[in-house]
Amino acid sequence: MIPEIGYFSLTLAMVLSVLLCIFPLWGAHTGNLRLMRAAPSLAIGQFAFVLISFAALIYASLTDDFTVSYVAYHSSSTLPWYYKITSTWGGHEGAILLWLVMQAGWTAVVAARSKSLPWVLRARVLGVLGFLGVGFMMYTLLLSSPFERLLPYFPVEGRDLNPLLQDPGMIIHPPLLYMGYVGLSVAFSFAIAALLTGKLDNTWAKWSRPWTMTAWGFLSLGITIGSWWAYAELGWGGWWFWDPVENASLMPWLVATALLHSLSVTEKRGIFKSWTVLLAIAAFSLSLLGTFIVRSGIIVSVHAFATDPDRGLFILAFLGIVVGGGLALYALRVSQVHSEGRYKFVSREVALWLNNIFLVVATLIVLLGTLLPMVHKEMGLGSISIGEPFFNKMFAILLVPFAILMGIGPFLRWKQNKWAFLQNKIVVGILASVAITCVWLFSAYDEVTPLTLLATTLGVWVAVSTLIDIYTKAAVHGTLKEGLKRLGVSYWAMVLGHIGMAFVIAGVALTSAYSVERDVSMKQGDIVQLNQYNYRFEGVKTIRGPNYSGHAGVVTVLKNDDVVTRLYAEKRKYDIGMQFMTEAAIDAGFTRDLYLALGEQLSQGAWSLRIYHKPFVRWLWIGGVLISLAGFMILFDKRYRTSAKTARKAAAESVL
Amino acid sequence: MNRKLLAIAPLLVFAFVCVFLYQGLFANPREIQTGRIGHEMPAFTLPDLMQDNKQWTNEALKGEVYLLNVWGTWCPTCLAELGYLTKLREQGVKIIGLYYVQGYDADFDGPFDMQALRTEVQDMLERAGNPYQFNILDLHRTLSLDLGVSGAPETFLIDKNGTILLHHTGDINPRVWRSKFAPMMQELK
Amino acid sequence: MKWLLFSLSLLLTTSALAQTDRYVFDTDEQAVRFEELTKELRCPKCQNQNIADSDAIVAKDLRERVVELVKEGNTKDEVIDYMIDRYGYFVHYDPPVTPATLVLWVLPVLIVIVGFGFIVIRQRKASVKQTWSNQDEVLLNKLIEKNKRQEQN
Repeated sequence: MIPEIGYFSLTLAMVLSVLLCIFPLWGAHTGNLRLMRAAPSLAIGQFAFVLISFAALIYASLTDDFTVSYVAYHSSSTLPWYYKITSTWGGHEGAILLWLVMQAGWTAVVAARSKSLPWVLRARVLGVLGFLGVGFMMYTLLLSSPFERLLPYFPVEGRDLNPLLQDPGMIIHPPLLYMGYVGLSVAFSFAIAALLTGKLDNTWAKWSRPWTMTAWGFLSLGITIGSWWAYAELGWGGWWFWDPVENASLMPWLVATALLHSLSVTEKRGIFKSWTVLLAIAAFSLSLLGTFIVRSGIIVSVHAFATDPDRGLFILAFLGIVVGGGLALYALRVSQVHSEGRYKFVSREVALWLNNIFLVVATLIVLLGTLLPMVHKEMGLGSISIGEPFFNKMFAILLVPFAILMGIGPFLRWKQNKWAFLQNKIVVGILASVAITCVWLFSAYDEVTPLTLLATTLGVWVAVSTLIDIYTKAAVHGTLKEGLKRLGVSYWAMVLGHIGMAFVIAGVALTSAYSVERDVSMKQGDIVQLNQYNYRFEGVKTIRGPNYSGHAGVVTVLKNDDVVTRLYAEKRKYDIGMQFMTEAAIDAGFTRDLYLALGEQLSQGAWSLRIYHKPFVRWLWIGGVLISLAGFMILFDKRYRTSAKTARKAAAESVL
Repeated sequence: MNRKLLAIAPLLVFAFVCVFLYQGLFANPREIQTGRIGHEMPAFTLPDLMQDNKQWTNEALKGEVYLLNVWGTWCPTCLAELGYLTKLREQGVKIIGLYYVQGYDADFDGPFDMQALRTEVQDMLERAGNPYQFNILDLHRTLSLDLGVSGAPETFLIDKNGTILLHHTGDINPRVWRSKFAPMMQELK
Repeated sequence: MKWLLFSLSLLLTTSALAQTDRYVFDTDEQAVRFEELTKELRCPKCQNQNIADSDAIVAKDLRERVVELVKEGNTKDEVIDYMIDRYGYFVHYDPPVTPATLVLWVLPVLIVIVGFGFIVIRQRKASVKQTWSNQDEVLLNKLIEKNKRQEQN
């Protein structure tokens, strides 16, 4: 009964969604205020019904209702309750339902928090969001329902959630990512609404910004968690594989980063309007493209969902309508957009323009690298592979001008700059960065390649230049403390974001250069040395978990005969499905990770083990978290929050 | 005018990409081909699966057009295609089997149990049909590697000079035979 | 990966410990080459994994062949060519440079140049010299005064 309620509730949500799409857009077109006013309540109603639907699926999982096909395929009674809930988005149909929850959720929040917008704009934004909802709901209801039943012959036990997904990472990674992907649809909707209304001004940029930054914050966090999870879970010590599914998340992120910066320029200077709108359309387009790539079967990936062509066709058609429609509208209306800006070459405007160019080029590199093998094969030219060597090389090259620019950018004022003022800061910054990096690397490592030196220096430079900028901007106002207080939320967000990036750059440089690995076979009592640590194999003990059994290799880690820690590297065999999975043991640290994975059992009681020493790998995720926080900081920025009184006043005064 | 062109460019690029995305829905991205098309069979010396003291070399295989079918008893798809392959044999197509040994670890399993394998193979071929003139045993998968084989079933079409003309990954069924192999076989006549 | 030279040399000096490694090479350079190769060669049967990370049989076979080839003294490119001869370009994660793949490198460079050129041209058009009159000066002073008063309040 409950699953049917779930399906029915979704149908109701779809009806509301259709109305949400038609009424406000028609109302805005004809100036009918009553139709437009229907939007917010429709949005909230839609969200309520989607939530009910989602709750129904969760209920089915929690009660082990294996008559529901989705629950039978992705869950089992042996799962702990929190993984039963997680299994709700462990497969394709459920993941789309999660996406819908996010879509309806964001729409509802926009409806509730947009009271200060003039009705025409507000209605259009909600209308476009409604259209997106309709698309996904149609897809779910017609082609991808998680509520299908397996009656009359249903299994007594489910097939269990893929062991790889039975991990805390699965609980947070997809929801965060989807919050990001779907959040970008808000920026998209604002852009479309603005194009429809024909008003692309500073205020549009100002409204768009908090939504975009929050979505970007979620996406950043989602990607960071994904990287950390792959590292902790897959057993090979890697944290980014340039897999098509990972690329599918990186592309919207890169464009959204460009969008953020571009929005700030449009908001403050009223220029780059046409580019900002295009970026807003592109960001969500890439989200949709990513969804298509991952679910259609056109690329090969460990992360890809199992699919069939019908579904791929629907998503492609939807993609075509949304993105094609958006870009067509752009082509039609953008000529009405005029930007008048006067600025010299050495100015923040130019720096941010170059920033956008670099980010767009990075996106293009990822897009080409991901799609070219498919295009190449379709043109009959055979199979090629594009992976790490290509992407790493291109990004390494691109990083040099980008990081340099990132450091100089904040120093620059709008319109024009006096070279003398700049010169001091830049020179001091460069000298300090080079000095710090050289002292650091040459004292800690015997071998420092030019590439490592350059890459680390760039990371240090971004951090150093940010600190210099804080100092110079704060020192202007009397005492340093007073000056720091005067710097706004938006400024501190920039600082966080850039420092976060510095951590990422330095972390990538150092961990790539100095990670060490040994692939050994060990018998009980054997000791293996890696860098300054000794690893003593104590043997293997059998383990038993809630839904798995297996072995745990016990290793004592010693440094100069002092015990540092004891690591338990597991190899699990899950009861249902009999799948094997390695659970690596990690001793995490700010300056290094010790990583241990258990391999196969060899002859004569020996086991194979992989031991990794990974310096500064945590910096990647520390940086990622800082970057995400930068996005969320806008929620504390008073300039974007209007009091209820102001909102009411604005609504009353709004002219149609 | 320039501006109008710039404005419509993104839409055109997107449309272009969509064409390929659409095509991609009906293609199989995992199908790869050996790099040895157009080259001669690599040099090898491997034992016959069923007969003791009988070796096969690439020279010995020259002289006739034949299919080289990579298979194993562990492979369910191979079992499925045995029936159709046997029919092809009855129609006069010469098929040689390359037995792909999977999962044998010298350290772990001890000496290789040839007898057990022969019994297994015999049983399966009796049940499902025997399309093979004979089988070559690739115990350490060396010839398979030299041919660019990554699993089973895979089939090569080789002409009488030993040149590799076709490589197909996956099972041979009437549709595949008609579209891929039959035209080439016709040409060779 | 040059660090590996350093740390391996450290390990090799500590006698019997090195013997437990799964793959043992004659020189550190070979060990580094092996590690780089197994990260750049793709497993032909897997869902997008390199042969270092994969447990598939064909990946294991390829790893062992790479060990042999490296020990024989082949360079990195020679080993890669050997594998491409057998498995095609698919097996190497770095695409070949052909007319069809040229776009991978040409297009990004083109966009950077075009983007750069765009802003240079636009900026030239936009930096118009402004004239500054006495009236403007007076107006400016008034605004500064007003702003100062607001700050003091």
